[in-house]
Amino acid sequence: MRHGCLIAALCAAGLALATSAQAGRSCEARPPSASAVARSLTLAEHTAARLDASGAQVVALARAGQNLSEYGLRYSHFGLAYRDGAAWRVVHKLNACGSAQAAVYRQGLGEFFLDDLFQYEAAIVVLSPDVQNHLLPVLRDNVRVAQLNTAAYNMVAYPWSVRYQQSNQWAIETLASAQEPAARTRERAQAWLKLQGYEPTTLHISALKRLGARISAANIAFDDHPNEKRFGDRIETVTVDSVFEWLDRSGMGGTVQVIR
Amino acid sequence: MNRIPFRRAAIAALLAAGVCSAQAQSTLSDASALSLLPVAISVAAPVAILSAGAVLTVVAVEATSAGTVWVLERASDGARASVRLGARAAEGASALVGSAVVVTAISTGWILSAASQAIAFIPNELGAALLYNERITR
Repeated sequence: MRHGCLIAALCAAGLALATSAQAGRSCEARPPSASAVARSLTLAEHTAARLDASGAQVVALARAGQNLSEYGLRYSHFGLAYRDGAAWRVVHKLNACGSAQAAVYRQGLGEFFLDDLFQYEAAIVVLSPDVQNHLLPVLRDNVRVAQLNTAAYNMVAYPWSVRYQQSNQWAIETLASAQEPAARTRERAQAWLKLQGYEPTTLHISALKRLGARISAANIAFDDHPNEKRFGDRIETVTVDSVFEWLDRSGMGGTVQVIR
Repeated sequence: MNRIPFRRAAIAALLAAGVCSAQAQSTLSDASALSLLPVAISVAAPVAILSAGAVLTVVAVEATSAGTVWVLERASDGARASVRLGARAAEGASALVGSAVVVTAISTGWILSAASQAIAFIPNELGAALLYNERITR
């Protein structure tokens, strides 16, 4: 597995000001500090305790990997967590260090938070009993969690296109396919999400920033966005915050619970 | 010597999978977050050697068919511990020989660090339940 960490870290800043050409640079493996590991594992432990106490079997679980306040967003990434015996597992999609590819993983809460977090804070949304019942068998089944995965990754993938797929997009499309048996393709899952009133976040990203980001990072592309939106500096994508709002609004999930 | 086995050999997957970067985060959707940190599969050591604040020295890094073994020695009395990690933990680890390693005890296990950088995590049972890594799609 190639390490593209530095690139991805740059990408994080990339939308804002990436202009240097870092594409293709390999991931610079930098060990985390002991204090960061301690804080991450403590957050994992607190999250496990809260999940145990929730009585839930399936939740949406988010982390804050970046300061996204510029975009009015609080969380950067979410996965679908489920109870597996006495432990909790998170099924989520990860982009390998800034490459243009991503894969679905099943991880422990420790791995989920063993990251360079911006804030040591987690958020959970307990899904409705109906959604939990539909999702639980899916999350245990490697074939079904892979069914709507598209390896081609774009951090700002357009929500209503199947050319690329970012992590949060995989999660809600998988939720859609669990809820609606007919949603066996990404197109159908997206149609179901529209029907259910999901609304992505609109980011206002100028042409100059888009150009810089595209040049600097393999995992950012804009060619899946409709021209009228792209050239209007309106980039729509699936964000944690928009998903959480939708889950609450639609009754498919409860309110956001913050864990520190 | 007291042997501390950990039930989840799957922990080794953290290393076996060649996991990388803790640094990468994407802006809006995610990003890779595979931990760089080697996780111990088993430890053979006098229990007390893993006490908080203990200062150890890496005296050897041995590659074996079952993974990588780090031999740690306590400066104060020469007591030794063997920590078995996945094969990937051998990468770059030889540079650690001679390094001072500090043990930090947390509720989920012990963090080994050198120059404030975490170099390995030794989970207790609580910590082991938090760790699992399986790549589902290629």
